[in-house]
Amino acid sequence: MQLSLQIKDLQLFCQHELLLSLNENIHGGEILTIMGPSGSGKSSLLNWLTGTLPTDLNANGEVWLNGQNMTEVPAHLRRIGVLYQDALLFSHLSVAGNIAFAMPKGNKKKRLEKIVQALEQVGLKGMGDRHPDSLSGGQQARVALLRMLLSEPKAILLDEPFSKLDTQLKVKTRKLVFDLIKEHQLPAIMVTHDHSDAEAADGKLITLNAKGNEYAR
Amino acid sequence: MSLRANNIIFSKTAMAHTDPFTRIVMLSPAFLLLLLMLPVLSGLLGVLLPAFGFAPVLEQTTFSLQGFKALWQTPGLLQMISLSVSTGLISTLLAVTLMLMILAAFFNSPWLNRIQRLLSPILVIPHAAAAIAVGFLIAPSGMISRLVSPWFSGWELAPNGIFPHDAYGISIILGLTVKELPFLLLMALGVLAQPELGKTLRQQHQVALNLGYCPMTAFFKVILPSLYPLLRLPILAVLAYACASVEMPLILGPNTPPTLAVAIMHWFNDVDLNLRIKASAGALLQLMLTGGLLVLWLGGEKIIKALFSNSLVNGEREYGGFYWQKVTFTLTFLVIGFILLALMGLMMWSVAGFWRFPTIFPEELTLLHFSKAFIQMGTPLFNTLTIGISATSLAIALTLLCLEAEQISAKPLSSLTNLIIYLPLLVPSIAFIFGLVWIQQLIFSHSSFFNVIFTHLLFVLPYVFLSLSSSYRRLDHRLVQVGASLGAKPYQVFLKIKLPQLFAPILVAVALGLAISFGQYLPTLLAGGGRITTITTEAVTLANGASRRTSAVYGMMQMILPLIGFMLAWVLPKYFYKSAR
Repeated sequence: MQLSLQIKDLQLFCQHELLLSLNENIHGGEILTIMGPSGSGKSSLLNWLTGTLPTDLNANGEVWLNGQNMTEVPAHLRRIGVLYQDALLFSHLSVAGNIAFAMPKGNKKKRLEKIVQALEQVGLKGMGDRHPDSLSGGQQARVALLRMLLSEPKAILLDEPFSKLDTQLKVKTRKLVFDLIKEHQLPAIMVTHDHSDAEAADGKLITLNAKGNEYAR
Repeated sequence: MSLRANNIIFSKTAMAHTDPFTRIVMLSPAFLLLLLMLPVLSGLLGVLLPAFGFAPVLEQTTFSLQGFKALWQTPGLLQMISLSVSTGLISTLLAVTLMLMILAAFFNSPWLNRIQRLLSPILVIPHAAAAIAVGFLIAPSGMISRLVSPWFSGWELAPNGIFPHDAYGISIILGLTVKELPFLLLMALGVLAQPELGKTLRQQHQVALNLGYCPMTAFFKVILPSLYPLLRLPILAVLAYACASVEMPLILGPNTPPTLAVAIMHWFNDVDLNLRIKASAGALLQLMLTGGLLVLWLGGEKIIKALFSNSLVNGEREYGGFYWQKVTFTLTFLVIGFILLALMGLMMWSVAGFWRFPTIFPEELTLLHFSKAFIQMGTPLFNTLTIGISATSLAIALTLLCLEAEQISAKPLSSLTNLIIYLPLLVPSIAFIFGLVWIQQLIFSHSSFFNVIFTHLLFVLPYVFLSLSSSYRRLDHRLVQVGASLGAKPYQVFLKIKLPQLFAPILVAVALGLAISFGQYLPTLLAGGGRITTITTEAVTLANGASRRTSAVYGMMQMILPLIGFMLAWVLPKYFYKSAR
């Protein structure tokens, strides 16, 4: 069965005022891009998808992941991976520790091998024992990406993940993320302010306006 | 970053014209450190010398081990030691565990702040009042046994029970745990309220949830390793206090034998002055016990860290979080219920007329106990207020000057300074106050009132400093620059911009300082040579012996005074400097 993330008749309300409405089906390997000014409900949409909508917001509608209704599933059982603006690496763990934290439990040796392999794949060979704070911004972003991917998510949300990287690094990291999304055939939603992100994603683009009414292009 | 840059700009303007105000300000941190260190260190010396037999007052000027010999021969010494150690360690362990469970179960939930709000009044209740209330609750005729009688227990008359004053120190442990839990929770929430750190930690918790971690596991694997180092000092302070305090064991503990700290206090206060040598040796022993416990705790931290460092990254996401959450809910409910019942009991006893055993409410209510107590309360009340207001004003002034110095020099306080601010809380007061009093009597023998104020200042200062520093450091530096650019001198900026801006936090710090001073028992008793009575010293004296109703009245007064302070701190900012909000 093909992987897919479905948003069915979502209506997000902030104090009884409609913030946004959405009805989308994202197939594996596709990236849905959402743009819009702040206050248009982008982050609330991501919060709703991860199951952590603040209590002052209400939502109607359902989210389905690979044919399973996730609307009432608690946040930590949804298996939706998120990449944020900041890498948010755990500073009490090494780089390898950060990745191991995210991996499913299992044989210690096999997990370690997988980490070494994954680090090599993104050009961070031999950096497993480093402290996250000693890494450059771009390196941190790649560790965060590995951490998210090796947790074996079923869908991916990108919350302006490249906005803090400089242009050259941004292009490189973005390509890596998008390639890996295609490789794993995961459905993804990206929220961004940057038109070049949207172009690179090469998928459907939805622009929200301040009042939250969408118009697709 | 911008904050530091602003500081540097400001510091340059300040350095350029060093006026008297700035000079005084710059000297204040050194003064603060001296003020905290000198009394504690000289107090320790004042205990060390007599412990080894050197006490000119008693015409003993040769060093000997006679004090220690007398100490070893004290019957039941081992029991005293084990009672001190076990009550201190177990109550701290319980309070820390409960705090962590509550944080883990309610992290990112609005309930966390609600629980804190429910528990925070306990924070300002002096230990003595809390002990009185807990004692009433667990007594054989207390609220708990009333609630289960006679329908469940079958008791028509109050049964014989071991609580309070049980030989195992369970009552002390209960009292200390419910008193320290709110303090630790407040400290933890204070850390989480730091804008940068708190935000990062909440986001990392979210990351762990996204990675499939159950919320409680996420707390222990992600938040705790970053949070704990910032809670270490408060926890150690709680441990040091719990093992050497006198109020709780005096009111709730056994007498045969009591805890070591209580025994030392009795020896010091004995009419037989020669017991002072033994008491000093005991104070030294107490110091070593507390030090040993702190080392043990730090060692335990290391062991736990080593044992669990692998499981942090083993990928296990769920350790029965659902059940632990239920357990935590139940425990939280029980703790809050315990505290509320204790307070209600205290309140009812203070106004109770006739109150037969199994009935839950008194048959008649009367204000007679209050009116009787008020007649005798004049002097203690006057002393309490005078000492509290003096010590707190000094503490506030000094703290503000130090924080101003920190901003002018743009250098945050070193970790050593932070440790020294905690010094009076970490060194058992029983171990250094006697020495301090001895020295005070040499220097200012006739002004016990001043001595009491000064000793209170030692305990008020750390809390006032901790309470004010975060708001002071959060103050918007641009306001200061605007003021300076309009030609205001540093002292004008300080008085006319910063202080009005900080009106509300200063009032909270004042209320906290007053509450701390109101609650001091040992320092008042010793520095005042037993001649200066306050509501708290009276309450402790009355708790063992006088009628339950009179004792309840004093317990109530102990709670009402700090509450008035906090209410004023809450109300006044609504009327003064409103525009600063």
